Amino acid sequence: MNKIKAQNIWKKFNKLEVLKGIDLEVNEGEVVAVIGPSGGGKSTLLRCLNKLETIDRGTVVIDGEELCHETSAGTEYVNKNDIRRIACKMGMVFQQFNLFPHMTVLENLIEAPVNVQKRDKAEVIKEAEILLSKVGLSDKRDEYPRKLSGGQQQRVAIARALAMKPAIMLFDEPTSSLDPELTGEVLKAMRELAEEKMTMVVVTHEMGFAKEVATKVVFMADGRVQEQGTPAEIFGNPKNERLKAFLNVILK
Amino acid sequence: MDYVFKIVPQMLDGCFVSFQVFLITIVLSIPLGILLSLGRVSGSQILQKIIGFYVWIMRGTPLMLQIFFVYFVLPSVGIRLPDFESALVAFVLNYAAYFCEIFRSGIQAIPKGQYEAAHTLGMNYLQTMRRIILPQVIRIILPPISNETITLVKDTSLVYVLAMNDLMRTARNLVQRDFNITPFIVAAVFYLIATLILTVLFERLEKHFSRYEQ
Repeated sequence: MNKIKAQNIWKKFNKLEVLKGIDLEVNEGEVVAVIGPSGGGKSTLLRCLNKLETIDRGTVVIDGEELCHETSAGTEYVNKNDIRRIACKMGMVFQQFNLFPHMTVLENLIEAPVNVQKRDKAEVIKEAEILLSKVGLSDKRDEYPRKLSGGQQQRVAIARALAMKPAIMLFDEPTSSLDPELTGEVLKAMRELAEEKMTMVVVTHEMGFAKEVATKVVFMADGRVQEQGTPAEIFGNPKNERLKAFLNVILK
Repeated sequence: MDYVFKIVPQMLDGCFVSFQVFLITIVLSIPLGILLSLGRVSGSQILQKIIGFYVWIMRGTPLMLQIFFVYFVLPSVGIRLPDFESALVAFVLNYAAYFCEIFRSGIQAIPKGQYEAAHTLGMNYLQTMRRIILPQVIRIILPPISNETITLVKDTSLVYVLAMNDLMRTARNLVQRDFNITPFIVAAVFYLIATLILTVLFERLEKHFSRYEQ
């Protein structure tokens, strides 16, 4: 079953066309790595899936529910409450972590499950503690984010997203603002998540991750999907000229 | 010293008037300022313009002029308020404009990523503001709020223009009656004590609200 189905997505910022008719399908349990040069529209595409950006034209269906559908005028979104409900089916991990600095690690995790999903607090805390131990941060439960390293903050951000029990996880360059020695711990947490068959879309510059963990790789440049396929196809037998040039530069 | 003890009860009466003006102004102008600031950062261009104009008028003219305006000009359009209420209306409207600007700057200092994280966690506007944005804004705005509050302590003396017997006017009356400047010194001490209390209070608040920054 399709977890994400995006069709003919167009998006422009002022005069600049960033997405020019993108199609993306993600099946349950798939790990999709989106790669490509900076400014190619990768992050924008991800942000359009949960309406952090509003698209100009196209259809987005998340977990069987329509977020917006293409019309002759461009696109029509569902109502605000449904947008919110659909958007939080997807956990999102940002490049800048975006933890809530005034809350402890545990408070960051339980805030939305308790106050948005209205779940039982004691139960949520129990689950949050399990999630923290999974990302190896049980001992940081009562620390404020400021006290943590970048890698630790990003692992908390992953746990916070998972606490919502999302159907899909979106990662927007999750290791790009980390020191090189800290990327490993975050990639490890993501790898474990992939092994549990979480459906994931990962915008990344980590070619190792795309090669080893992804089940599908999407190469984007100039606002278009230039080529997509299995890691073996993309890295072993690239056909698109832009992709060949990109791999030449990045794998040297 | 005997003279000081003799005038203290009268001066305390004056303090009480000043304190009332201070407290009511704070209690009303801060929430009004928050509301105005939310309008000022909202998506509505018209609302932004109107509030911007309001802030310009309120910050661009002397508070004393505004007090006169409420007291002398509004009655000509049928709004007639007693002395105390007139002064309060002017104070609240004036201070709300300043608080609006303080809150606006605080809200705009919060990174966009905080709103985005809240969105991806399914929070609506009210939840985002109340749980995520405003608690962080408080830490940022406490120093300017403290400033403004201390200014207000001294601005309360402006009510003397409406012949209200606040601390300042009481002191001046005593000086003129007794040909002795001691009441001015006593008044200065009272203002200083009030300011000291506020300084300590705000220091504590700042410490409390920045505990996550340590």
